[in-house]
Amino acid sequence: MEKDYILQVKNLETRFKIGKKTVHAVNDVSFNLRRGTTLGVVGESGCGKSVTALSIMQLLPKAAHIEGGQVLYTPSPEQTLNLTDFKRNSKELRSIRGKDIAMIFQDSLSSLDPVYSIGWQIMENLRMHEKLSKKEAKEKIIRMLGELGIPSPEDRFKSYPFEFSGGMKQRVMIAIGMICNPNILIADEPTTALDVTIQAQILALIKQMQQEHGTSVILITHNMGIVAEICDEVAVMYMGRVVEFGSLLQIFENPHHPYTKALLKSVPVLGMGKDTELESIEGTTPDASTVFKGCEFEPRCPFAMKKCTEEHPMVCEIEEGHEVRCWLYEEKCKDDRR
Amino acid sequence: MLKYFFRRLLSFIPKILIITILIFIGLEFVPGDPISYLIPPEQMAFMTEETIANMRENLGLNDPAYIRYFKWLGNILKGDMGYSLINGVKISDIIWTRLPATIELTALGFAVATILGLLFGFISALKRNTPIDYSLTALGMVGVSIPEFFFGLSAIVVFGLTFRWLPPGGRMTPGQPGFFQRIPYLVMPVLVIGISYTATLMRYTRGSMLDTMNKDYVKAARSKGLSETRVNLVHSFRNAIIPVMIIIVNRIPILIAGTVVIESVFNYPGMGKLILESISGSDMPVVMIATFFIALAVLIASFLVDLLSALLDPRIRFGKM
Repeated sequence: MEKDYILQVKNLETRFKIGKKTVHAVNDVSFNLRRGTTLGVVGESGCGKSVTALSIMQLLPKAAHIEGGQVLYTPSPEQTLNLTDFKRNSKELRSIRGKDIAMIFQDSLSSLDPVYSIGWQIMENLRMHEKLSKKEAKEKIIRMLGELGIPSPEDRFKSYPFEFSGGMKQRVMIAIGMICNPNILIADEPTTALDVTIQAQILALIKQMQQEHGTSVILITHNMGIVAEICDEVAVMYMGRVVEFGSLLQIFENPHHPYTKALLKSVPVLGMGKDTELESIEGTTPDASTVFKGCEFEPRCPFAMKKCTEEHPMVCEIEEGHEVRCWLYEEKCKDDRR
Repeated sequence: MLKYFFRRLLSFIPKILIITILIFIGLEFVPGDPISYLIPPEQMAFMTEETIANMRENLGLNDPAYIRYFKWLGNILKGDMGYSLINGVKISDIIWTRLPATIELTALGFAVATILGLLFGFISALKRNTPIDYSLTALGMVGVSIPEFFFGLSAIVVFGLTFRWLPPGGRMTPGQPGFFQRIPYLVMPVLVIGISYTATLMRYTRGSMLDTMNKDYVKAARSKGLSETRVNLVHSFRNAIIPVMIIIVNRIPILIAGTVVIESVFNYPGMGKLILESISGSDMPVVMIATFFIALAVLIASFLVDLLSALLDPRIRFGKM
């Protein structure tokens, strides 16, 4: 169980070419997803979480490309594939998309094609990867829709997206994602466009699907509350880098990076004193195209030192499975690696 | 869907009425005596002033305008449209020989231009910012900005007179009335009539495609592992043509109006050329009736395309709009 990783992202670099400018959207990002668990990727808007997710299956827009790094996918102990070796939209990659690794997008309202019935759209994914007759496929889809709590699934099979509410559409998206029983489900802010009560239902559904099908989940969110609720491990991202990675307990009980600490202090916690003020992080996030010589968080960091402006901090493993990218913990490093 | 269909169909009635009223008013203001296009000229030659005055009374020409309008409308509905002032031929006969020629020309021109416009727009969007896209854009600019008669005349000079590949004008070789024998005559006018239409459609399709290609549902479709061809055709293009349909409907009148110039350039015996001939001969009754048929053709064509676009969009099909 310990080292049973289904997906390892190693030193991933994704660049955007906008005009003549190059934006370093994802810099040296590494994290591991253990089989059957949920990994939360948190960070504020524009920190590169979504680009990281899209990089895994190379669903990036045309202006973006993967400059370096590896995405190692291990469907079985005997087999490991490096997804960055495949060309974008190549046959090999397409056979993995939707079947082995499925994705749920942020805005369910616009993620369903408005001109096809939802049954058709789920069918499209199922029949792309599995040889089933139309009848068998339909039965399987209706069963899945039922499992996801969509009332009278037989009738709804033929309904169009505009006939569904936001929460129902997100259930349909989950159905599309889960219909081929994927090994990994990447959920990119699956509840951001939904109201709070529906959010809880959708998260519970994702959790339920994970338990029933043994799926490993990467959950991308900016909501610390959601992370605390369903994640096993957490990667905190800032300006295209993972600044801290660890188990849920390590991150929440023992945060090390100044950004993680500040982030946790800025979230209200149930039972906190009435007079306790929520802290905000000083300053604003720099423009994504800014190139830093040192640490990206240095301008806003209360513990900034001279070294922070001069050199990129290296990653330190301060505890088994707990990694921090900060100069403050240089001496505590268990082993040196960048 | 049925409700939508019927609403559209019902809106035909007032539209046609308004057209006929406008044409009737036009006829009223035409110089000349209406009796001259109600009676064949050869009969008229043998009539006295008195018989004509009696006839005027009997025919109700002294009645108020609105009564005459309804009679006129009734006659048109019965197929009696009066006579040409120039050669005394029944206008209905003229229309029945000219209308099929124009329908053939415009329907083919419409089909070819629509297919080419959508295809070029699709390619242009997929090959965005490549030499292919740039050349199509440049050709599109040329197509929109140069008037069609210029293309027509150039085509006649090059393909009709210099190379002699195609007949420079006319509709058929005498004695060879079959459709396939007419095709050489149709090639140039059909292509020329749709040039600016193709160019406009191409630009709109390109824009609409670029728009849908960035939509989340296209990304979601790609995440299912679909091939690029399928993503582009079944998802991007299928959605991109819905707004383009509006452009198609709006451009139909311009396309049909183009027959006036193109038929003259190619000496093609259709409604457009008929209108031009009648205007220069002051044959107003023919002008009016021909205009009426052209207006009717625009209405019907727009209706059919509207219907098609409704079929393409489930939101309209199921009455959400």
